[in-house]
Amino acid sequence: MAEADVILVIVVGTALAFDFTNGFHDTANVVATSISTRAMSPRIAVTYAAILNFAGAFISLEVAATVAKDVVVGDVITPTIVFAGLIGAIAWNLATWYFGLPSSSSHALIGGVVGSALAAVGTEAVLSDGVIGKVLVPALIAPVVAFMVGGIAIVVCYRIVGRQRPGPVTRGFRLGQVVSGGMLALAHGTNDAQKTMGVIALALIANGSLESGADPPFWVIVSAATAIALGTYSGGWRIIKTMGTRIIKMDAAQGFSAQGAGSAVILASSHFGYPLSTTHVISGAVMGAGAAKRVSAVRWGVAGNMIVAWILTFPMAAAIGALTYGVTQIFGDGAAGPVLIATAGIILSALAFMRRARTPVPA
Amino acid sequence: MSLVAQIVDWSALGQTVIAAVLAGVGIAFAFSLGILGATRLSDSSRELGLFATVGYGTLAVAGMLASVAAIVFGIIVMTSS
Repeated sequence: MAEADVILVIVVGTALAFDFTNGFHDTANVVATSISTRAMSPRIAVTYAAILNFAGAFISLEVAATVAKDVVVGDVITPTIVFAGLIGAIAWNLATWYFGLPSSSSHALIGGVVGSALAAVGTEAVLSDGVIGKVLVPALIAPVVAFMVGGIAIVVCYRIVGRQRPGPVTRGFRLGQVVSGGMLALAHGTNDAQKTMGVIALALIANGSLESGADPPFWVIVSAATAIALGTYSGGWRIIKTMGTRIIKMDAAQGFSAQGAGSAVILASSHFGYPLSTTHVISGAVMGAGAAKRVSAVRWGVAGNMIVAWILTFPMAAAIGALTYGVTQIFGDGAAGPVLIATAGIILSALAFMRRARTPVPA
Repeated sequence: MSLVAQIVDWSALGQTVIAAVLAGVGIAFAFSLGILGATRLSDSSRELGLFATVGYGTLAVAGMLASVAAIVFGIIVMTSS
């Protein structure tokens, strides 16, 4: 096997590992609302979300196209640059997971790739129009829209059913949450698995294995769908706790409104190819559904910590991506650098998982 | 600011926002009507006249069907892109 092919195999493996951590890290956000309102048990919610994550990966390729074509210049990108960007994203994902902060995997991924491309080639490697127009501006708008839609939706719900007996209404909205939670998982699979597809497509193009502008091959779609579904199934109880109970205490109508708002924003954005963060969107929707009922019901301190994590995500992942690219270059342009860093990454990740497993957080 | 205005496809972004608002609020509206119909029907089915029973029953079914139709429509739009 040629050295370039070895790097490509490492990049694909790393991208799928990122996808797994994405599922592990982000999908807790998707199921937290259903668990918090007791619409579903944690185990059923996680299994259900995993299945719909897998299905969601197949319904669109617009976001994959954005990641592959609109973030960096494909002609100057090498598989090693993509690898370094992925390491930046995974490292930041693991760090925020370790400390229980639901930051954005999506922004970590794009930040990591942008950072490594800047370090390797310079500013000419980054498509600033695409990064600003298709990533950063939608990233700012989406949570605000989700907040607004979640807030209006819960007001509409309360206006219509507010005078009815709470028992049947709660049961009705819990039933609705089975559907809205499923839609949110489907939306998450659609938007997030495509980012991995886009990154693998970028590496394949850089390696000359795929024509520039082509859609990801079917094996890329299936493997990305499988990785995110497995990550989802593996859980993420620390973040479930943060999202489900520490931001706001919710009733079933609020959960339904938040999930409906979140899935509407993510699906509409996916249709137009915007690589959003499900974390940002569902947090915005949850806060909107909470604030519309009672502003003091939202624990703004926890929400503030999340905002800080979000602000740090893009630059931190970019910095780690740039640093990783620099380290690979110590070993030359061959496969030695990526092999060593991937090995070190696996060992560090395993240690983090083992250490965290010793202090489980109750769901 | 003007640079950002030129870079961003505000038309696509505007359509995204409108679609999200319509879908998110629309489904909440339809589903709530469905719950209202079902709750009123089950709460006072013995006291209701035929007209009210049919009315609340229709409201419950229409609300649920509209919610399901909106979801199916959304998935069809997604998969056809």
